[in-house]
Amino acid sequence: MNPGVLSAGARGLPLAENARKVLQPAPSEPLTVPMPLPVRHSPVERWLAWRWSAWTSPLLVLAVWIAVTALQLAPEQILVPPLQVLAAGWELIESGELREHVTVSLARLVSGFGFGAVAGIAFGLLVGLSPRLDAYFAPSFQVLRQIPSVALIPLFILVFGIGETFKVVIVAKASFFIVALSVHDAIASLPARYLEVAAVLRFSRLQVIRKVVLPAIVPATLTGIRIALGRSWMVLVGAELLAAENGLGQMMEMARQMFRLDIVMVGVVLTGLVGLALDRTFRLLEAYLMRWQRR
Amino acid sequence: MKPDSRIDKQRRLAGLFALALPALLSSAHAQAAEPLPDALRIAAVSRTGPSGKTVFAGSSALVAEQGWLAAELGKLGVKLEWVPVTTNSVAVQVNEAFANKSIDFAQYGDLPSIIANASGLHTQLVVPGGSMNNTYLVVPANSNARSIKDLKGKKIALHRGRPWEFPFSRLLAANGMTQKDVRILNLNPQAGASAVASGSADAFFTLSDAFLLEDKKVGKIIWSSKQAPQDWKMRAELWGDSAFLKKFPQLAQLVATAYVKAHLSVAGEGGREAYIQHEVSAGQSRRLIEREWEGDNTDWHARWAPLFTPELRAHYAAGAAYAQQARLIGRPLDTSRLYAPQFVEQALVQLKLQNRWASR
Repeated sequence: MNPGVLSAGARGLPLAENARKVLQPAPSEPLTVPMPLPVRHSPVERWLAWRWSAWTSPLLVLAVWIAVTALQLAPEQILVPPLQVLAAGWELIESGELREHVTVSLARLVSGFGFGAVAGIAFGLLVGLSPRLDAYFAPSFQVLRQIPSVALIPLFILVFGIGETFKVVIVAKASFFIVALSVHDAIASLPARYLEVAAVLRFSRLQVIRKVVLPAIVPATLTGIRIALGRSWMVLVGAELLAAENGLGQMMEMARQMFRLDIVMVGVVLTGLVGLALDRTFRLLEAYLMRWQRR
Repeated sequence: MKPDSRIDKQRRLAGLFALALPALLSSAHAQAAEPLPDALRIAAVSRTGPSGKTVFAGSSALVAEQGWLAAELGKLGVKLEWVPVTTNSVAVQVNEAFANKSIDFAQYGDLPSIIANASGLHTQLVVPGGSMNNTYLVVPANSNARSIKDLKGKKIALHRGRPWEFPFSRLLAANGMTQKDVRILNLNPQAGASAVASGSADAFFTLSDAFLLEDKKVGKIIWSSKQAPQDWKMRAELWGDSAFLKKFPQLAQLVATAYVKAHLSVAGEGGREAYIQHEVSAGQSRRLIEREWEGDNTDWHARWAPLFTPELRAHYAAGAAYAQQARLIGRPLDTSRLYAPQFVEQALVQLKLQNRWASR
């Protein structure tokens, strides 16, 4: 323990006040001592400190988009002006089409990702806890994990047909490997002293898992799940582009066939926004579940 | 150092001028005679031939082989470029290429052209005729369906916006059905074939690739457009960028003449066999081509007629009406401005063929 802190507390001084005293000159000191100059922030720094500064790059992209379309640097059928995209989006919302596509896509994501993540956690735990299983599965796991999900689409279509199964399976595949790997690695990097303490306390194997391993791997697992969620979304939209009756990806593919690039842009923007929303929501969930760590 | 560098500068200026002079002169010369483009680009369906090189399908292959167009354009200092597009997504590739001005002509289908023009592109039909493909309805080999009527409520694979969608709508309508009576799976021909082969689609509407499924014993054809009325056939013909046609009518004329010459040679004596030879060298199987024509009620000679007939105009008008009704296009399209018949007319006069196809 830091004796300084202890002594400050012993003198009944609030710690924060003590800290401030170190930083600021005491009022009793002569005024001749130069006050520290107010730190000059450059415009860039001030801009970055502004709470809306996160909008800089989206607004820049939008400005470039508007400029390019206004100056007609690209054919209007291909790079549609933002207002027209907005109008197309509104039209899709009003007709209920967009809602249907997004709902279907999200339903596929939730079911596929649910399967994949649960299976991934289970598999990660098994191979993480049992070196023998790890030795059995590691080679095939490492090979399979390197195959991009998108490359498996044609094969999956042949095996599972073009129905819902194929999309759910491909999303599950995309999430499974990322989650399993993060769980496995989290267990592998568990500090040895945790287990030593558990051994001293004579924990049973089940107790070790419940009281030591599981709580310790939560942060890494959550991060893995969040990354897997983003990846699954991308893979799903890709799969829908190729074979689906509906869904956001299919909406884009169909619009491309109908030469409606405005609808394609609606799909592109929406895919990005949904991905962002998923990521942000999961970060909030992560922060909530990890709130004990900040105490 | 200074005087030296001044001399250097002067010399450099003189050099620049000497370099620029011919360029200036030639550009002045060119301006007087309308600057021609460096290249004329025609998009055509291509396949990978048995020898591994890209070969074009249909009359474009004949035009390429005859070499007349390349030679005539060469005389004007214009290079002829063939732009290959793959069968899986001709419509999308060609329309996007027309939009970003990377092609001037394309040999492709009716419905995609309607879609392009309805979304603000301006293209015109330059040389009609040549390709009136039959369309086929294929079901899995073990299916009990005997006609489209048996497929009510079933899943049918169809690549939307492709030229065979219109014949499909005609087939439905003739049987008192609409698209709402079936579930359309929007799949490209490759995916559609594997869908019907794996049984995850109950039927597949496509072109002569249907025979390949029959040959592999995974599908059977239960309907073809062979005996159907002529306007049920899909059309794929030569389209040009309107701006290009207006700007370089002399080049467009050469292209039109070349295609009419190709049509003439195929429609004539021994042309049919020569055409088969071409398609075979382009990777198509001979049996497939023969079966595609077997029992077809289209007259061979009439198939190649490069004429803007009332039937053709009616076909496009009906196609546009269908596209709007099926919500493939957002606004009605006046098809009367889709035609540029002056080039074919001129070509027929040049080649003294005014009466060749006049019997129609």
